[in-house]
Amino acid sequence: MLEILHKLGINTPDIIAQMLVFGIVYLILSKYAFGPVTALLEERRRRIAEGEDNLKKIRENLAAAEATAEEVKAKANAEADRMIKEARETAAAAGESERQKAAAEANTIITKAREGSEQERARILGELKRDFGRLVLDATARATGKVLTPEDHARLNTEALSQITNN
Amino acid sequence: MLADSVFLTSIISVLSDAAAAHGEGAHEGGHGGHHGVDPDAKGLFAGDGVLSYITNSVLVGLIVVGLILWFVRGAMKKVESVPGKQQNFLELVVEFLYKQVENIVGPKIAPQAFPLLATIFIFVTVANWFGLLPGVGSIFVLGVGPDGHGQAPLLRPATADMNMTIGIALISLVVWFVITIKELGVGGFINHTFGPKGGLKGAMKYGLMPIFIVVGVIEVISIIFRPMTLSLRLYGNVFAGENLLHTMATLVQTGNAAVDFICSVLLRIPFFLLEILVGVLQGMVFALLNAVFIKLSTTHDEEHGEEGHH
Repeated sequence: MLEILHKLGINTPDIIAQMLVFGIVYLILSKYAFGPVTALLEERRRRIAEGEDNLKKIRENLAAAEATAEEVKAKANAEADRMIKEARETAAAAGESERQKAAAEANTIITKAREGSEQERARILGELKRDFGRLVLDATARATGKVLTPEDHARLNTEALSQITNN
Repeated sequence: MLADSVFLTSIISVLSDAAAAHGEGAHEGGHGGHHGVDPDAKGLFAGDGVLSYITNSVLVGLIVVGLILWFVRGAMKKVESVPGKQQNFLELVVEFLYKQVENIVGPKIAPQAFPLLATIFIFVTVANWFGLLPGVGSIFVLGVGPDGHGQAPLLRPATADMNMTIGIALISLVVWFVITIKELGVGGFINHTFGPKGGLKGAMKYGLMPIFIVVGVIEVISIIFRPMTLSLRLYGNVFAGENLLHTMATLVQTGNAAVDFICSVLLRIPFFLLEILVGVLQGMVFALLNAVFIKLSTTHDEEHGEEGHH
């Protein structure tokens, strides 16, 4: 047995020396290479998983936001339609009311104008009657050369006015 | 690109070693008349001091350690989330190996077992490949050995020295034992080794107990022999490969130096490529066997039972 070991060159000091060589690389790699690298890979894996989760959440949020936006848009459209309709109705009602109001005012103005016109006509006609009566009296007094009595005045005025009215 | 450089290295190695092979006859005669690679690693320093323990294979082991640590230091010098080339390669190797280890030993044990198994794979593979480089085994130094009058190759494939393979196997055994005890406890380990398996109960359990005890004894013997089987497997493959290359280099002896040189180059090329493959395969086999040992010893019996039910 010992002869075989000797032939193979096996001896305890060499085994210990080789164990030290391998032990050194084992310890150093464990501490300074495999530990940090596996931690880094784990960290990267965690980040990727987080990123995937975040992406999934973002997609879900986006879908929810899009759905909400669609809902809000639909609501806004409906509201806008309702408001436009209401505005149209209100505008139509207001227009009608204003038109009626304007028509009433116009009627009032026309009526007032007519009344004013009538009053003016009556006033002018009165003045005209008075002037015409006076002219008739003056002309009659000059033509007849007599002094007219109040009864003559009243009779001549009545006749002259009836003539004017008939004409 | 990598394949090209490996091939180029092989060619250079073939050329270099072929040139050396012609001069080896005289050297071999000087150290015991071995044909091929000497199984005994030679001390490089005379005397009985600490330096006398540095053999040519220990020196190669230290160089391999230096190369690995130099690369790792370069990769880990400035660790970034977006890795550089070296860091990226290291991450690739670590991630690949971690997945393999995790698949075998499971996610719970993987963090404990991974450093050992990855170190074995990387160290053994690099050491095997280093043995194929030009100059390894073909550059001799004089005035070595205990008497200071011997001669020996300056560099010798580290894994072609059984002291190295035994050393790796012993460290593997120690780490295996630590992981197993941490996982099962001393009682659990004894129960796992000698106790009844397969979820037996009642009379059957006690009836078969002697058989399981005998099986446990056999298991212990197999555990004791593991370092020997592991180390012999690796040593045998690498040592045989080295001898094969040596034999191919000296196979044609016509007496015409030019013909002998060309033949020694051409005959070895396919075997060099084979040895590149064997180098990584042996690293993988050594690591995988250890992974399986760890898996077998850290699997709880109830898991066995559950797996059996499945």
